Amino acid sequence: MIVLENITKTYQTHRGPVDALVDLDLSIPEGQFVVIRGPSGSGKTTLLLTLAGMQHPTSGKLLIAGKNIYNLSNRLRANFRAQNIGFVFQMFHLVPYLSVVDNVALAGPAAGNNHDITKARNLLEKLGLAERIFHKPAQLSAGEKQRTAIARALYNNPKIILADEPTGNLDPENASAVLDHLAQFHRRGGTVIIVTHGLIADQYADRIINLRQGRLENPPA
Amino acid sequence: MIRLIFKEILHRKMNFLLGLLAVIIAVALSVSFFITDHASHRETARVMLKMGFNLRVIPAHTDLNQFFLTGCSSHTMPEEYLNTLASAQGFSYNHLIGTLQKKITWQGLDIILTGLAPELCPPGHKRPPMIYAIEPGSAYVGYALAQQFNLKKGDTITIASHPLTVEHTLTENGTIDDFRIQCALADAQNILNLPRQINEIQAVDCLCFETKKDPLTILRQQITSLLPDTQVIQAQKIARARAQQRQLIKKIFSFILPLVVIVCGIWIAVLTLMNVRQRQTEIGLLRALGYGSIRIIFLLLGKAILIGLIGAVAGFFLGTYLALDVGPYIFKITAQNIKPMYFLLTWSLIIAPLFAAVSSFIPVTIAASQDPADVLRYE
Repeated sequence: MIVLENITKTYQTHRGPVDALVDLDLSIPEGQFVVIRGPSGSGKTTLLLTLAGMQHPTSGKLLIAGKNIYNLSNRLRANFRAQNIGFVFQMFHLVPYLSVVDNVALAGPAAGNNHDITKARNLLEKLGLAERIFHKPAQLSAGEKQRTAIARALYNNPKIILADEPTGNLDPENASAVLDHLAQFHRRGGTVIIVTHGLIADQYADRIINLRQGRLENPPA
Repeated sequence: MIRLIFKEILHRKMNFLLGLLAVIIAVALSVSFFITDHASHRETARVMLKMGFNLRVIPAHTDLNQFFLTGCSSHTMPEEYLNTLASAQGFSYNHLIGTLQKKITWQGLDIILTGLAPELCPPGHKRPPMIYAIEPGSAYVGYALAQQFNLKKGDTITIASHPLTVEHTLTENGTIDDFRIQCALADAQNILNLPRQINEIQAVDCLCFETKKDPLTILRQQITSLLPDTQVIQAQKIARARAQQRQLIKKIFSFILPLVVIVCGIWIAVLTLMNVRQRQTEIGLLRALGYGSIRIIFLLLGKAILIGLIGAVAGFFLGTYLALDVGPYIFKITAQNIKPMYFLLTWSLIIAPLFAAVSSFIPVTIAASQDPADVLRYE
């Protein structure tokens, strides 16, 4: 269970403070497929980074599996993230000088696991990238890059996958393929939280949350 | 992590090569400077030996006016003084020669007769001799005398009824030496009827002008306490030239070397800054994956350390090559004494990685402490 209690995030800019999230209360049960939607500047990415334990809220509490993760030290929070959370980015963020298989296995040491090429290769085979494992990211299509990123997110067997516009740079066919893989993870009991502009993810969602100016538009009853 | 370092190096070869170049230059110049400085030290000493003595011990009652006009004292002192000085504890010298010299008239000409005692060096310190050893019964004849009397090797000359065989005729000097006959000390003592007497001890000391105290004062105190009936004169010009040459080389090196090291350090820092800016997203990603700051610092500094290690080896060999090959053209006086100094390789392997890591430390620390959310949000 992920619980956000009165989460507020205010950025200090040269034009003055900007509220990205305002008194957000939200609970996401384990195993849900959640889509967070909203226009640009609504606070979607800030919410996702906050959920990932990568961005201290200005106030409020984030509990994941009962743990207030912002009470943990930086090191423990990094460990927690490595072991429990997989991250998928819109821009893929693959390391350009590593092969596909090395990019996937890169997640291992962060969580105290080995750099296990076999495990990475198996994941890539399941995602249809068996022929691409020794290619460099520059040699892949956008869809292949995103599937590589999903394989990396799955490498440490996380409980949660957070995805920031994972289909934003993909054509509809590749977008569907990526969402199918996330749905498979969800069917195995994982929690998926996707931030997106588009509607394509709605068909996979257990729940859709709309954000506007840092507030929920359809707060839970 | 090590794999990651190597793969990144292969990916961004230019950045690596430029960083390596900076370390190679810093190490190569340091090594070549060190080798030539060391050689120059020895060479300077050798050059100064050729210039002559810089310390003269003469009898206390010598009239200095007369001494400087004729070049020799009219008084004498015991020959044993030479051994007393040579064996004295705490007296610092490199070469000692006892002489007995006097202006005499020979074949109607005023000449200087000089008797030379065998040269003494500090016990246990074998040094190249400053002056030739003259066998008893032999003579070295100055250029003008040899020319005037048509003397050559093997001829016999007689001075005050003492026959001497010409061993060597000297080349033209343009000084009073052209009118000098040199022989063994014992022969000169016999000729001048001054048994077991000398009138000067000439020495090369090893004091230089680094000390705050006046070296001549120190020398005078030391020598007059050992040899009470003497006075000490320092040939200031030679001594100063000697000290100044050493100081000049030291000054040049102590200015250029830090400058090169600072420039190379800044160079490495700028390259590291460029590298971490290029890798901003990668660093943000590693943080997002759960890599801690220490690991990221290790990843970035590891590259700097590797550059330092490779640069140390390459720089050592390049520096040695420069010193051996190019050095003689720049440092002409040290040409003969430039030799590889292999212990510098060990020092290079310790200092160069440390230098590269220190130069990279600030940009690396800034990069590692950057908030991954800031980086990834704006990508």
